Amino acid sequence: MGKSGKSGKSGKTVIPFGPQHPVLPEPLHLKLVMEDEIIVEAIPAIGYVHRGLEKLTEVKEFTQNVFIVERICGICSMMHAQAYCQGIETLMNIQVPDRAKYLRVIWGELHRLHSHLLWLGLLADAFGFESLFMQVWRNREKVMDIMEETAGGRVIISVNAIGGTRRDMSPEVLRKVAVIADEIKEDMMQLEKVFMADYTVKHRLVGVGVLEPDVAYEFGAVGPMARASGIKQDLRTTGYAAYGELDFEPVVETGCDSYARTMVRLREVYQSVDLIKQAIGKIPDGETSVPVKGMPNGEVISRVEQPRGEVLYYLKANGTKNLDRLRIRTPTFANIPTLLKMLPGSQLADVPILILTIDPCISCTER
Amino acid sequence: MIENAFDISKELLHIEVEDSKINGYRFVTATCVDLGNGTFDVIYHFDKDLELKNLRVNVKKEEELPSISNIYFSAILVENEMKELFGLNIKNIAIDYGGHMLLSDEELDSPMAKQQIVIEKRKGDK
Repeated sequence: MGKSGKSGKSGKTVIPFGPQHPVLPEPLHLKLVMEDEIIVEAIPAIGYVHRGLEKLTEVKEFTQNVFIVERICGICSMMHAQAYCQGIETLMNIQVPDRAKYLRVIWGELHRLHSHLLWLGLLADAFGFESLFMQVWRNREKVMDIMEETAGGRVIISVNAIGGTRRDMSPEVLRKVAVIADEIKEDMMQLEKVFMADYTVKHRLVGVGVLEPDVAYEFGAVGPMARASGIKQDLRTTGYAAYGELDFEPVVETGCDSYARTMVRLREVYQSVDLIKQAIGKIPDGETSVPVKGMPNGEVISRVEQPRGEVLYYLKANGTKNLDRLRIRTPTFANIPTLLKMLPGSQLADVPILILTIDPCISCTER
Repeated sequence: MIENAFDISKELLHIEVEDSKINGYRFVTATCVDLGNGTFDVIYHFDKDLELKNLRVNVKKEEELPSISNIYFSAILVENEMKELFGLNIKNIAIDYGGHMLLSDEELDSPMAKQQIVIEKRKGDK
């Protein structure tokens, strides 16, 4: 863990938190300046898993980059590829078949489901509720099994291609997906009572890490972090892929605390189930991809709502097979500054929950 | 060209960014593009009601660029990143890691730039 030190005159203690810590699946280091048990300042340190993937995309062909961006992060790999493909498709004026747009919604929402279920499980584990953790992850396994059955992979499913999708789903498989989605919803409605009403769970979450709406907006919060602070911000409402054809409203809570962020993710589990079923009900027949001819040229920005929030892709192409620049701003990169706002004034014992509450993905952040 | 993009001089950067904040824009991120001719494009992305506004500043290598972190604190990470990975000479970042947010002493300076630039180190750094 490293050393802690006390500065004699001010009475402040500096405690290093991470980069290795039981609550952190990935390495993030925080330098916490403490007065007794209260945090007065927090400074983050990253850089433990930086891979230079943006640079790598400049030397690979633009068609190969789909596989690179998928590997930025396992949890939202499908949506990284979707944001990249949508950007290239805009540059090359490619009209993606409607069926592919619906398939992207189905696989995208499956990813959101498994991401939120993973987070809910990790949260339960962080406050020591192991049976809850296991029940939530039992449901997550069902999503992973669907992904394996529909795409051949459990995490990195490689379904996106420039011009559409690489795979299709048969009517039987779509029916099965709908049935399993309903099962997950039913199970989660049972577990919901624990998250919403259990005394110890509420004790650890209610009033912890309050992020007022104006502060959340000023610090650039995205995704469930912003929506739990009452900000109705969800890029899916812009209608990319087939979201424009589906009926939904962003999930918003106004509690502004860790409990509200848990409720947003819990309700988004049901929302994803609903979107999957809507998409299955409306998916048209037809092709799933169109051939890609030529090379991309020009600049474009593509944005997608990942489980953790908005991801931004900036692409600059030059008419050759290699891109000039691919810049990726992931949601955790946007949410870390809010952590620096939430931590001061908090108890040391709440730090693991507060870090977890932003659902940090360091692989995304560092790329 | 990306939509809703405006070319501005670095002298106007603070005025435009302050104007964006007053008008309720959220700072999304900034993008640095090495143009390969000794200059960089730095594009600042802002969002309001899911519409993007982009401010593009062109700076020469080693030319000073003011930090916007005193206006939007959330710019600290991306400004440190651009400073380290491209060697941009960004001044007065609210939390300045002095070239060590991502890079260690052993690593190449400005690895994302097309031509390497040695960036300013903190006093005492080797």
